[in-house]
Amino acid sequence: MTAKDIVKISLNLVAIYLIGGLILAFVYSKTSPIIFIKNKEEKEAALKKVMPEADRIEELGTWEPHEKHATYYIAKVCEEEKIEKIKDAQTGDFRETKKCIKDKVIGYVVEGFGKGYSSYINVLVAVDKNFVVKKIAVLHHGETPGLGDEIERDYFLNQFDGKTIEHLVVIKMETKDNIQAISGATISSRAVAEDGVRNGVKMLIDKFSNGVKG
Amino acid sequence: MSNHIHRHMPLKLVDEDTRQYEGITHLQRYGSYWGIIVNGIFGENTVFRLVLSLCPTVAVTNSLRNGFILGVAVLFVQIMVNVTVSALRKFIHPRIRIPIYMFIIAGWVTVIDMLMAAYARAAYAQIGLYIQIIVAYASIFARAELVASKNKVVTSLMDGIGMGVGYVIALVIISFFRELLGRGSLWGWEIIPTKPLLIMILPTGGFLVIGILIAFFNWIDIRFFKGKGASGAPSCH
Repeated sequence: MTAKDIVKISLNLVAIYLIGGLILAFVYSKTSPIIFIKNKEEKEAALKKVMPEADRIEELGTWEPHEKHATYYIAKVCEEEKIEKIKDAQTGDFRETKKCIKDKVIGYVVEGFGKGYSSYINVLVAVDKNFVVKKIAVLHHGETPGLGDEIERDYFLNQFDGKTIEHLVVIKMETKDNIQAISGATISSRAVAEDGVRNGVKMLIDKFSNGVKG
Repeated sequence: MSNHIHRHMPLKLVDEDTRQYEGITHLQRYGSYWGIIVNGIFGENTVFRLVLSLCPTVAVTNSLRNGFILGVAVLFVQIMVNVTVSALRKFIHPRIRIPIYMFIIAGWVTVIDMLMAAYARAAYAQIGLYIQIIVAYASIFARAELVASKNKVVTSLMDGIGMGVGYVIALVIISFFRELLGRGSLWGWEIIPTKPLLIMILPTGGFLVIGILIAFFNWIDIRFFKGKGASGAPSCH
């Protein structure tokens, strides 16, 4: 190989990688805002789904289960509303806006991660003020299709409604008090119930049960 | 010594068929564009004849919807890679063709990954994990090296369509049996109220179904077309 060949090959590589890189950058610049907005919308929809009665769900902070970034929220309902008239600075018209002057905490929502069979399962847990689970949802997971992905089904998720932290235990038999494992997917069931949900609820209890109620 | 000789030998698939057809184009070999497409679907079907890309095939075919979506994603990448490699074939220096094929495949996979994440979110949530695996598909790489790097753009396009459609058909057939027998449903719709054969949705069942189907297509080939059955060496990716 001569020096000329080396230069030719290098230029060849650089040219193709550069063009490819530009195309990728273009596609990324077009799609990433859409992906960002849709991710946010999906998260808000998921929050609304686990805590439908809340008027406002505010972010309180973050915690790190399994060294992953997870958020927890406080859910509030409005007790008293005041209608305010605000003068629009430009047109001079009065606009009526509702403003909440007194709100009540009805519970918390926490995002958690559970180590499953082939992935980390991302769950969302809504609890009331006494830390009783109201509803849970599975946001993302990469469990075995056909077995582990049954954790998304309602018959499994509905078992969590009304459970306290002591009852968040997976049992391989038919049970009313605890969580019944999905047949063939005990690891995934455990990951959701004992790792994801229970640790999330435990974190909330540690943080908020000592009278510090957001 | 032997090492030295091999380094200067051009990379070739040592196969009777290849030797027989050396020196003629892909189009001449199969007669027409239609012949190329038919070859991709039946003659050189990725799964049933070449026995390539078995890992992702086994991984996704436990439901009909997943199988079909990944098949379409592969079809898209296969066509785009074939066309790109073919269009650039005179510009790519032979010594660096492998990293460039890798880059072209990875680039198109990234594009489809981003497009699906933005516009096909329901499908992406189901199959997103497997989209990146397409980078390592032996079938796509093999077509870039064997066909697209030596043939005109239209020939390569037809080959990409044929191979891609053949792969979609293979995935649909395999996942049809696996979902029906393993889950008792098709495309998520319940057909049988129980799960008749749970093993079918596990990897074991995937290999069983693929093995039986390869045997079936071999039987057709030998019985009706006087062929000698699939000759490909099984490959994971």
